[in-house]
Amino acid sequence: MNNPFSIDNIIYWNRKLHIYIGLFLLLFILFFSLSGLLLNHSQWKFTSFWKERNETEIITPLAIPVNLDSVSLLHNFMEQLNISGEISNVSLTPDSINFRVVKPGTIQDIHIDFKSSMSDQKKIVFNWWGKMRILHTFNGSEKMNPGAHPNWLVTRIWRLSMDAIALGLIFLCLGSWIMWYKIRNDYSMGLIVLILGIAGAIFFIFLLRIL
Amino acid sequence: MSKGKKKYYIVIHALHIYFGLFISPFILIFSISVLAFNHMGFLNQINPVKSLPEIRTKLDYIPYDTTDLLTAKAIIHKLSIKGEIDFIIKNEDQISFPVNKPGLITRVKVNTHTDSVVTTRVMEGSMRAMNYLHIMPGQHNAKIRGNSLFLKIWRLIADAVVYLLLFLILSGVFLWCYLKFERRKGFYAIILGFLYFIGLLFIIL
Repeated sequence: MNNPFSIDNIIYWNRKLHIYIGLFLLLFILFFSLSGLLLNHSQWKFTSFWKERNETEIITPLAIPVNLDSVSLLHNFMEQLNISGEISNVSLTPDSINFRVVKPGTIQDIHIDFKSSMSDQKKIVFNWWGKMRILHTFNGSEKMNPGAHPNWLVTRIWRLSMDAIALGLIFLCLGSWIMWYKIRNDYSMGLIVLILGIAGAIFFIFLLRIL
Repeated sequence: MSKGKKKYYIVIHALHIYFGLFISPFILIFSISVLAFNHMGFLNQINPVKSLPEIRTKLDYIPYDTTDLLTAKAIIHKLSIKGEIDFIIKNEDQISFPVNKPGLITRVKVNTHTDSVVTTRVMEGSMRAMNYLHIMPGQHNAKIRGNSLFLKIWRLIADAVVYLLLFLILSGVFLWCYLKFERRKGFYAIILGFLYFIGLLFIIL
């Protein structure tokens, strides 16, 4: 056990970390499994969210700042409107600005008219099923601009957490192969099962497109 | 451990190992694709998509059927293209639709006046193949989703992976309960994970 990179030491820590990481990720795995099921079964009536959405429209007077760049302008308006979230779909004209602010479960489309100094907020609020769906896919990426980075700190934290969960799961999977290998004589069917799984994955990722 | 309990332990331990080994390659697909989704800009840099030369051909006739999906399926059958029809756009002049396979998108445009067909193909690579598998069958176009055999099978696999993963969570907790030496630290890991998860939800919602 003296050499930290000895096989015995790696096996020892792999088993320990398999348990701790698995238990730490318990709720995350549960959440992403269930929300993944929801996304794949939009026909389930009890998880309906779009029909149950709550739409409101609010018109508010605003102070229009002068000589600000578009980013400062957006932040100024969001501060005045007391809203936070991931900003997207920004379009700025000399007379107005349109943008969308998204938080999981809430979408706000905002139009601000510079001449009348009025803002028009169209807000959609989803139920818990809707929130679960959005959280599953919420990473601040835009379809039309895939290289875009999140502009809301919370989105960055959530995305970083998703990365960490993914890395944790990769560790659990690869670690489980090592753990099984050590007890392969007691669980000899494991090799067949693992080969079946790997063959299935290889078929879908690499072979299907050339068939 | 009593004999009865030991029997349960042995069975659940074996199932945890076998189910875990079987779904682990699929979990790898879902996990690796999460990284790809979150860092799309980086993925585009290291693995750009490759467009293949356009193919122009002509159908002897357009095999119109009772629905747009059946018509599109008949067209791709005539063109010997296989895959999942993603969606269909039809107007007075043309029928067009993408036909997907993991890592390959084929776009078919049929001119309804001349019966001519333009087919373009984009090779997206293995990472995007995993991304495609991750989001399929998904919540969009549910009415036509699963119009190819491979996606029908993938739908079953994706569901099975989730249900088996839920079993692995429960069986993992059950097995951990029997590990006396890991109880305290494992308990801390659960509490930490719980607090982190709840904390994240609190700030994001």
